Amino acid sequence: MKKLVVLLMIMGILLLSSVAFAQVANPDWWKKAAEPYQGVVIRGVSESTPPSKTIAEIAAPAFEELTGIKVELETTSWDEMYNKEIQDMQAGAGIYDFVYIEQDAAASYLEQNWLIDLTPLVDNADLTAPDFDLPDFTSFIDSFKDEEGKLYGIPFEAFLKTYIYRTDLFNDPEIQAAFKEEYGYDLAVPTTWEQYTDIAKFFTEYGKEKGIEIYGHVAQAKTHPCLAYELCETIWPTWGVYNWGVNLENMRTSVENGGTLNSDTAKEALAWYVDMLQYAPPGVRTYTWDEAAAVFGTGIIAQGFLYMENLGWLANDPDRSVVIGKIAVDLPPTKPGVMEAAEAGEGYIGYYDGGAWGIPHSSKNKEAAWLFIQWCTRKEWQPEFAELATTVVRQSAFEDPIIDELNEKMGDYYTLMQEKGYLFAGCPPLPMQTPLNELYLQWISRAVAGEISPEECLDNLAEKADQLMEELGY
Amino acid sequence: MQAIAKKRLRLFLIYLLCILIAIVTLFPIYWMFVVSVQSKLEIFSGPHFFPPSFHSENYTRPFFQDVYGRYLVNSLIIATGNTLLVIFLAVMSTYAFSRFRIPGSNNIFFWTITNRMAPAAVFIVPFFLMFNRLGLRDTRGGLIILYCIFNLPFAIWLLKGMMDSIPKELDEAAMIDGCSLWGVLIRIILPLARPGIMVTAILTWIFAWNEYLFASVLTNVNARTMTTGLIEFVTVIGTNWGEMAAVSMVCLIPAVVFISVAQRHIIAGLTFGAVKD
Amino acid sequence: MKGNKKQVWGLISPTLALMIAIGVIPVIYIIYLSVFRYSVFARTGMTYIGFDNYRNLMFDSEFLSSLRLGLSFVFFCCIIEIPLGLLIANLLTYEFKGKGIFRTIMALPLAMAPVSIGSMWVLLTNPDVGPLPYFLGKVGVEYNIGVNATQAFATTVFMDVWHWTPFVILTFMAGLASLPKDPYEASLVDGANRWQTFRYITLPLLRPVILTTLFIRIMDTFRIFDEVWMLTSGGPGTATRFVSIHLVREVLRSMNYGYSSAMSLFLLYLTIVICWLLLTFISAAQEES
Repeated sequence: MKKLVVLLMIMGILLLSSVAFAQVANPDWWKKAAEPYQGVVIRGVSESTPPSKTIAEIAAPAFEELTGIKVELETTSWDEMYNKEIQDMQAGAGIYDFVYIEQDAAASYLEQNWLIDLTPLVDNADLTAPDFDLPDFTSFIDSFKDEEGKLYGIPFEAFLKTYIYRTDLFNDPEIQAAFKEEYGYDLAVPTTWEQYTDIAKFFTEYGKEKGIEIYGHVAQAKTHPCLAYELCETIWPTWGVYNWGVNLENMRTSVENGGTLNSDTAKEALAWYVDMLQYAPPGVRTYTWDEAAAVFGTGIIAQGFLYMENLGWLANDPDRSVVIGKIAVDLPPTKPGVMEAAEAGEGYIGYYDGGAWGIPHSSKNKEAAWLFIQWCTRKEWQPEFAELATTVVRQSAFEDPIIDELNEKMGDYYTLMQEKGYLFAGCPPLPMQTPLNELYLQWISRAVAGEISPEECLDNLAEKADQLMEELGY
Repeated sequence: MQAIAKKRLRLFLIYLLCILIAIVTLFPIYWMFVVSVQSKLEIFSGPHFFPPSFHSENYTRPFFQDVYGRYLVNSLIIATGNTLLVIFLAVMSTYAFSRFRIPGSNNIFFWTITNRMAPAAVFIVPFFLMFNRLGLRDTRGGLIILYCIFNLPFAIWLLKGMMDSIPKELDEAAMIDGCSLWGVLIRIILPLARPGIMVTAILTWIFAWNEYLFASVLTNVNARTMTTGLIEFVTVIGTNWGEMAAVSMVCLIPAVVFISVAQRHIIAGLTFGAVKD
Repeated sequence: MKGNKKQVWGLISPTLALMIAIGVIPVIYIIYLSVFRYSVFARTGMTYIGFDNYRNLMFDSEFLSSLRLGLSFVFFCCIIEIPLGLLIANLLTYEFKGKGIFRTIMALPLAMAPVSIGSMWVLLTNPDVGPLPYFLGKVGVEYNIGVNATQAFATTVFMDVWHWTPFVILTFMAGLASLPKDPYEASLVDGANRWQTFRYITLPLLRPVILTTLFIRIMDTFRIFDEVWMLTSGGPGTATRFVSIHLVREVLRSMNYGYSSAMSLFLLYLTIVICWLLLTFISAAQEES
């Protein structure tokens, strides 16, 4: 029965999508604009996540039907996508006509001058749909502009990494009473890291005591790029260590050079992070972003930090999640003063990631690619896209009734994103973030494994990072 | 009497050992099967030693709704094509190395082998540039040629020993009888070296079938292989373990067929290595 | 044997031409890259620095420790796989019912792509839901490859043994198949027992095949990537960061092409030297005895 309902839902969505595509606001414009590119094949590469899959499976065929431009979108794993597009752009091979730019990588791609400036295309009325409406995009689009305000990418997915918790557990009177008795204050969404630690400890011990499987914390602590990202994106900013501990003015990380990577706060945060792993499931040191979310879906985690691109399946897919209707999201806890700084625009409290489409210089079909990029980010399609791919990049999409419906299931995630999104920030403009992340990982993983102490780790790391920066010419 | 008991004991020990080894070998594969019919939720909720439910969509979706069928065909064509090419070249050249005095043959032989020793990762860049220039990128032919870099040295090395063990007198006699070089190769060498050639073919095929790094960078859409397809299941929002395991299970089938067919030819020669009791 | 020169070259020239095209040209390119400071993400582009990359290698403590780890991985894998393979290949020379099935079962791990092996072992060893920690927990061993460095290392070795011993068995079986009959008949006449036959006839005759297999295993374990990458990615900490993993991270993550080219050439050279030393050592030992 359940399967039938799911099947019907999928069919419904498919049906809706064909309807939505039949309702292209101005099909004649698209046909006319695409006329010179009939029969052209454009190629792109992206990661096999719902937004890209949706584009490959729904948007691309519809686009081909309407315009006669064929789209071949490769969707592959995260590492492979990076390798392939960088390889292509570095060699100027011209394989791809449009590429996925993760927000993190935007600065690198701009520094290397791999992408074309989209501004002239936007201004070209023959190639840009009259209702494209650039100002409608959320402020996330600013991540893809250079200092002069030239635009290099059009975002099509965006999400936060923030605090997620189980409403059913937090609202359980028995649990609330037990918590109050032990810690002397009411169980609620934590606003400080001390409270977070208390709650984590409480749930893990509560689980042990009652013989049920429940943990108060989850992390992505495997020796894998995600470990370094977790500290840089989520933990350190909320302790007041911003921009990966890098001083963006001189691109140095150590304290003596004006950075904050080996500052006492950073060390304290790392020590705390390592210590907290005891409250997570025993396998936490083998978790990447993958297992962290999967385990949350099995209902044994009370609170933690997840990439919200997972929220779509956590809140909807009964095959993968038992926590449907039992989750909510909120702002992360912070150290004193950090929230105020973020509100004043002097800091940030978490990670605002996503991706955009850009066109490499080596592309052979720039105009056709530009048309397709607009097609994927069309205003009238965004609400439906939000439903299929849990991602919003346009202001207007927030206003759609679909979002209200989704909000209900997803614990008011979209409201948080719309209203508090400005408190979050993407990766700072570090053109060398990939090698830097690799170096961070190398050292942080050793601290997590207990090979070295957090102090030793960060002192060494800051020194090596400064060396790396110098070698790379920054 | 004692001899029979001894024989029985030995048979018992053999079976015991075989069963033990078979269990260790099969368990991870059995586990893969169990994973392949579970939903993602079940996989992450405690070890299930028997599948709690049967999710056949893990098998049907990748092949019928996605393009894994095409990946499978590509992999089959590339692995088989590479094997044929490698065996053809390796039989010719090892025969030459083993029978004729070639100036510097030892050096040439050794150099060929060193090609397998090179770490693959760094070769990605030159191969990418080369293949792009030559128009071989994203073609099956390109990968068939490229896989020779690690398979050909391997095949030459393995076959050299086997060639050497075939008595020279046999082909000399044939030559005196007026057989051409090719005639000798086909009529004398091929049948005699069959076990060696078959083993080399199996392993060559498997190396090509399983290669990932080159295929990932040098193919895009048309020539993508199964291994690169498997990696697509690994995404930031969760690895699709069930489908990945299901596809891996399906991948086992052609490999097993190939191995067991080819193995029969090794066995043909195997009997005289052992002493008859 | 003397052959028609044209014919002989006709036999080997296709192989040579192909190997030069795909073996020599890239190496030349890599030698060229190795004398530059060249990282994709550098602001500086390519800078000629002579042999500095090679010199830096000798002082790079991360590289050296990963090299040591890589070598010990090679050592442990080979020392288990070769004897085990020999044992099982010998077992398969006996006649018994069900041998065919057993032979096919034995070869199964080979048929799996390293990528899927790595990911299956992730699930097998997952401390929360994997069967391995579950069973070991039952016998009182706390098994967690995310925490325990020794266990993580042992698991990678075990995974390699599981995957590649069938390879060793297959080559040994082929070797056994092509052994000459006469010495065995002679030993039968002399009344040698099975062990003596194995020790004094099979082993020496099989020596070239054993050596070849050993060398191939050394090369391949030294280059291992896919499985270990999927299973541990080099962790916990640096416990399984073998030199092959270190190198791939340097190439694909850091995109430090100049330095990693130097590293690759060094590793290539090292492999050649190891194989050569081993060969000399073994043939010297044989001559003595």
